[in-house]
Amino acid sequence: MSYYISGCMTGKNDQTLVAIEDSIMQKGRPVTAGSKILSGFTSPLDATVISRLEAGGYAVSGKTKMREFGLLPLCEEACEASGAVRAVADGAVSFALCNDFSGVTRREAAENGICYIHPTYGCVSRYGLIPSACSMDQIGIVCRDIVEGFGLLSVIAGNDEKDGAMYPDKSYVYEPLDKKIKAFVPENVLTAAIPEDKAAVLALSSHFDGVSTELAYFDVLNKAQYILSCAEISANLSRYDGVKFGFRADRYNNLDGLYVNTRTQGFGLDAKLALIMGSMVLSKEYYTPCYEKALKLRRVIKDSLDFKSYDVILLPLRITGGAYESSAVHALAALAGLPCVSFSYNGGGVQILAAPKNENALLTVVKAVTR
Amino acid sequence: MSYEVVIGLEVHVELSTQSKLFCGCSAMFGADPNENVCPACSGMPGMPAVTNKKAVELGIAAGLLTNSEITRVMTFDKKNYFYPDLPTGYQITQLFAPICKNGWIDIETGSGVRRITLKQIHIEEDAGKLVHDNRCDASLIDFNRTSVPLIEIVSNPDLRTSEEVVAYLSKLRLLLSFAGISDCKMQEGSMRCDVNISVRRSGSGKLGTRTEIKNLNSFKAIARAIEYESERHIEALETGCETIIQETRRFDDGKGETFSMRGKEDATDYRYFPNPELMPVCISDEWIEAVRATLPETAQDKFTRLTKELNLPEYDAKIITGSRNLSVIFDETMQRFHNPKEIANWIIVELLSIAKGDNKGEDDIVIDEKKFATLMKLCENKTINRNVAKKILIKVFEEGVDPERYVEEHKLGMVTDTAFLENIVRDVLLENEKSVLEYKNGNQKVIGFFVGKIMNKSQGKADPKIVNELLRKLLDD
Ligand SMILES: [Zn+2]
Repeated sequence: MSYYISGCMTGKNDQTLVAIEDSIMQKGRPVTAGSKILSGFTSPLDATVISRLEAGGYAVSGKTKMREFGLLPLCEEACEASGAVRAVADGAVSFALCNDFSGVTRREAAENGICYIHPTYGCVSRYGLIPSACSMDQIGIVCRDIVEGFGLLSVIAGNDEKDGAMYPDKSYVYEPLDKKIKAFVPENVLTAAIPEDKAAVLALSSHFDGVSTELAYFDVLNKAQYILSCAEISANLSRYDGVKFGFRADRYNNLDGLYVNTRTQGFGLDAKLALIMGSMVLSKEYYTPCYEKALKLRRVIKDSLDFKSYDVILLPLRITGGAYESSAVHALAALAGLPCVSFSYNGGGVQILAAPKNENALLTVVKAVTR
Repeated sequence: MSYEVVIGLEVHVELSTQSKLFCGCSAMFGADPNENVCPACSGMPGMPAVTNKKAVELGIAAGLLTNSEITRVMTFDKKNYFYPDLPTGYQITQLFAPICKNGWIDIETGSGVRRITLKQIHIEEDAGKLVHDNRCDASLIDFNRTSVPLIEIVSNPDLRTSEEVVAYLSKLRLLLSFAGISDCKMQEGSMRCDVNISVRRSGSGKLGTRTEIKNLNSFKAIARAIEYESERHIEALETGCETIIQETRRFDDGKGETFSMRGKEDATDYRYFPNPELMPVCISDEWIEAVRATLPETAQDKFTRLTKELNLPEYDAKIITGSRNLSVIFDETMQRFHNPKEIANWIIVELLSIAKGDNKGEDDIVIDEKKFATLMKLCENKTINRNVAKKILIKVFEEGVDPERYVEEHKLGMVTDTAFLENIVRDVLLENEKSVLEYKNGNQKVIGFFVGKIMNKSQGKADPKIVNELLRKLLDD
């Protein structure tokens, strides 16, 4: 079972199995977030999603492999999809939970013929999730069927007082809306998409009345997301210093040596790149031209979305170019905290975004096109 | 040439919340190392921060008491640096939108009342404590104080003398301790102060080079450090032998001098940024008014009440309202024994001197007010006399004895049997004929001498009033 780091079957045979990414903490079990820096660390508690899964009658099948802290593969080429996606695609489990702040899982799910549900930011508790970029971290669901996925989402979603950045709603009911859905299909994004995804989005959009203008700030979405996420990651990864838990370098001469050696040996290249970029954009010199600008941009991007004129936004999953270029189409949901589903359609990859907490619009679209 | 010393203060005060700023751990002082610690405040991943509402309320209260503007949308920021006592590698603090801005307090010194303006008050979390253990040559970390809520009160450079600084700190301590915002104990570290100081020629509009003094553990140390540092600056200006550079200096209490902490401190780039995991806290008018409604009496209000309503002399009222602890003892005792003047006397004359003998300041006195009141009642209803009561007070203070039982067990009740006392008085007069003669010749002072002798013979239990009456009667016959 190469998609697992470790199996940790809980529950009985008749329970539905859910795989969890190795960034989600389970009491008494190792958790690494895909990084050597956390080797030897054992979780002191169960993540809220784990307790809710168990209370909802689901069983955890095991912890799946992931890229270090779920980072974009910029330095280290990812040779295979994440364990969560493969476990579901291979039929080992019906569902897998993971944190997809970067959008890579969304793409991989569609590429493997399955689906991903990225809930509204602040609807699923992150208590017990190893943080990467706090303002974008969100546990989502890899699934074979989106309608079934929403069934699982209703089990794990809802306010948790242990996470201070959540909507107050105690629970959510996911059901299709009784209305005619209007879709926004941004021309400029389609132009940049790979041909299969462009065709898929156009095919999908034919089911709905469309608004077809340009997506504002499309050319800078990934830059803003990259700057903000690296900054947040650089702070969140400071706790891995070899002092308290996790990996510690064997040799060091003094405190600085302990920090430097531990972190040099413990982090992979993509993490180091994020740390360097994050520290740089927060430095005195670059704060205003980089970090503050990205923050302002995020606000402007959120404000530019006009969910009064349309219910959903249809986007491709891949842009011509590499992982960084492609992240432009994933950045929107992360920056604006929007719910999103992705799946393969007519041989291409598509994602549908809706206004915060309007998962039901997504469900309506999915039911309409997969009937 | 005359010089002006310009001083600004950064005062850190630990908030008196039950729990820490972002987790449920106890924030109490004095626990065993790492007793009040959970995964969140020891820096483990996966614990989103959740803001302690009570800490925000105490911050609002501090703002109200210092006439500050309260920020309506308050945010937290992360300050990044590596140190083992900071388990997450960042401190959660407020840089961009602190809870209070532009406040002021009035201070009183020998030269009158002056208004000191405040730049801001912000909420932040405390760090842990690093202890070096020489036995095993290891550094040990205690995370008990990690994430305990603090407010930092930053004054503008309005202060000019060490006297003003001490008056300012005393005023802050009174305001904050009476409101229950903090117990403000410097020796326990719940009140800490960094001093920013510079010196300029009188009349000059331009500020001189500023140094920051840390490691100040008492008001006395603060005053001495300011005296030393301002002398150093003036000497540098006058002789030109030394150039004052902007730096952080440490005060050595033993030597009474400041020393450069030459480190990379000033070069550190803390990479402040808005904390993305905490939602902004919206502070509404309603919330502010609700906090205002719960603010207890200030020291000033209490002074007015004690002098106007309870008719205490200003001297007494000033001492009692000069310490939150004494005020509480006074109020609690008043609940059980309604004689303000008597309570004030007992606190100021007896309790304070007993505490002083025990090396305790007014803020450290711990006494069971119920027993304290009982003791005064026993005295008032003449069960015991005042001298006996004083001795029992020591027992109450030191051992917590129950006054009533103690009087019973040690048979200390006052002797009021006139016939019995008259016998003693006659004996004493017979034994001291010389003194009786002196009295007859007009020396009133010997009365005291007779009372002493009589008290001795009665093991201190005689009713002094009856003894006095008997003495006068027998002597004047
Ligand atoms: Zn804690």
